[in-house]
Amino acid sequence: MLSPAQRPPEPQPEQVSGARLVVEALERAGAEYIFGYPGGAIMPVYDALTGSSLKHILVRHEQAAALAADAYARVTGKAGVCLATSGPGATNLITGIANAFMDSVPMVAITGQVPTTLMGTDAFQEIDTFGLMMPIVKHSFLVRDPANIPHVFAQAFRIATSGRPGPVLIDLPKNVTNGFAPRCEPPSPQPQPPAFDGAAIAAADALIAAASKPLLYVGGGVAMAGAEEALRRFVARTAIPSVATLKGLGSIPTDDPTFIGMLGMHGSRAANIAVEECDLLICIGARFDDRATGKLASFAPNAKVIHLDADPSEIGKLRRAEVGFAGDIVAALDAFEATPDVGGWLAHCQGRKRLWAPRYDAPGQGIYAPALLKTLADKAGDGAIFTCDVGLHQMWVAQHCRFSRPQAHLTSGGLGTMGYGVPAGIGALLAEPDATVITVSGDGSFMMNVQELATLRRYRLPLKIVLIDNSQLGMVRQWQELFFEENFSEIDLSDNPDFSEVAHAFGIEAFTIDHRSQVAGAIDRLLGTSGPILMHVRIDPRENVWPLVPPNSPNVEMLEKRW
Amino acid sequence: MTARLDVDFTPAEGAMLRILGLIERRGYRIRELILAERPAHTSSLSILIEAHDAGRQPDTVARQLGNLFDVSSVTLSPSQQSACP
Ligand SMILES: Cc1ncc(C[n+]2csc(CCOP(=O)(O)OP(=O)(O)O)c2C)c(N)n1
Repeated sequence: MLSPAQRPPEPQPEQVSGARLVVEALERAGAEYIFGYPGGAIMPVYDALTGSSLKHILVRHEQAAALAADAYARVTGKAGVCLATSGPGATNLITGIANAFMDSVPMVAITGQVPTTLMGTDAFQEIDTFGLMMPIVKHSFLVRDPANIPHVFAQAFRIATSGRPGPVLIDLPKNVTNGFAPRCEPPSPQPQPPAFDGAAIAAADALIAAASKPLLYVGGGVAMAGAEEALRRFVARTAIPSVATLKGLGSIPTDDPTFIGMLGMHGSRAANIAVEECDLLICIGARFDDRATGKLASFAPNAKVIHLDADPSEIGKLRRAEVGFAGDIVAALDAFEATPDVGGWLAHCQGRKRLWAPRYDAPGQGIYAPALLKTLADKAGDGAIFTCDVGLHQMWVAQHCRFSRPQAHLTSGGLGTMGYGVPAGIGALLAEPDATVITVSGDGSFMMNVQELATLRRYRLPLKIVLIDNSQLGMVRQWQELFFEENFSEIDLSDNPDFSEVAHAFGIEAFTIDHRSQVAGAIDRLLGTSGPILMHVRIDPRENVWPLVPPNSPNVEMLEKRW
Repeated sequence: MTARLDVDFTPAEGAMLRILGLIERRGYRIRELILAERPAHTSSLSILIEAHDAGRQPDTVARQLGNLFDVSSVTLSPSQQSACP
């Protein structure tokens, strides 16, 4: 046996560049697409991308990289990845990261940074990315040593996707990506068995059994927790009717007989009245957001509350819950056993839903956007994915389209980001290349990320864009009409460019319609086209979204349309 | 309303900023702060907080702190002003 001194030296682990470690860590984490835009401080990583298995999508503005990564994550359930340089690259990512934060979307955002020796000196393209992002990320890392890269990336993906998902920032100084360190594999984490509270289950079961008018209030957390199937099993067992938030739409299919509608500011009368009347509200993956609750003190005034959420800090934050479950929504839903007698209550809610169903027979020959969207959704079928922007058109999509799964409705719920629609369409198409993906946008919103038409063209992504053009910032106009005595201030977009010509300039097929008789043929053309296409729809600038609950009013005080 | 938060955390890059920033952003003023180093790379903060408006529940901010990745435990105790001058 050789003494230690006699033994040949152990082979030194291979030293590789920090940038190479970044790429390998992304591959190890299962990333397939990364959305980004290069620049000085991130160039070592771009150099190392060549030849890797990662597919990089070059967008035309970093905001779109983060928004596309967000949509990709919503559809796949995996963390979306976006990449930008330091300074302006990082600041351009902010809106997209904030969007993911507000809607609890798993994301890993990677930014280049000036070398550590220059940090704090106001160097060229230096910005305190770590500090800027702090309030809008679930966690952030500033990597100071290339040897930490594998570990940091493994942690970042874990944090982004576990518990209540969210965005994680990794800021990479250039000397770190240019530096060298040995390869190492971070240890894989031990899976934590989900915590399960038997006493709370029994207490919830007792409340459910005692309720005569129970109602499910379904939020976006259901999809984030992958709990749609468990929720559907629970509904199949109990026949308890449900209402959904904007982000909860599709968790129970919108044409399911137990689904009453969307609640809240632009929710349906049947849904808001059901909340008013219920005696037990089972809140699942929702957070009593003010757009959903209206005046909080008047929300579900007669109801006891059971609250299920992945995030313990949401339980009881805005409304006291008689029973709260923080953690595994699937396990909790599957553990409930009570089957209350809700036949009469369900029939009552369904009757209201029929009575107050939206009407599509608007007078005149102009295009009525709700009718167009309903026809479009029916023709596109259940597999289609809708992404939208922010404004009246966004609410019309939520109200009049059909969704059989939450991934079919991608909307910027929490942040309300104009400019989400087209980048989200890009992310959705990469996540599900065979799906029909339709972006519904407004003329204001569309212009916020219009440059991404070039990305569609480059990657031949067959996005179907429906641009609803009222030559106004419609939703702001409606508020000015109703709450600012018709003082229409800075909402006129009548000098919009010719959107069809804009699309043509990007090499994308496009056409314009402005008469009701053109709708059916236009939808057939839109759905029948194999490449990207833009359908420009001119509508009456005075059209509003109804119902509308005025701010700080109870949800039952809805303003509604009459004709 | 005031309350005391005792927070054990790993003093990683940005951990203090995250903790104090979260408290301030969620509508509380920091009235007093004591930082103690603990063995084995942990630190602890004892923070006296005061809500900017009456409706806020300190247990919510305590749970929000508990969500921070660097934070290992948060204990909330009802208002007890420090004995220090
Ligand atoms: C980035 C951003 N800026 C401003 C707003 C405020 N905002 C909300 S809706 C809206 C008008 C949207 O107009 P448009 O996209 O044309 O849609 P419409 O309401 O006309 O359907 C504005 C300006 C926002 N949500 N996002």
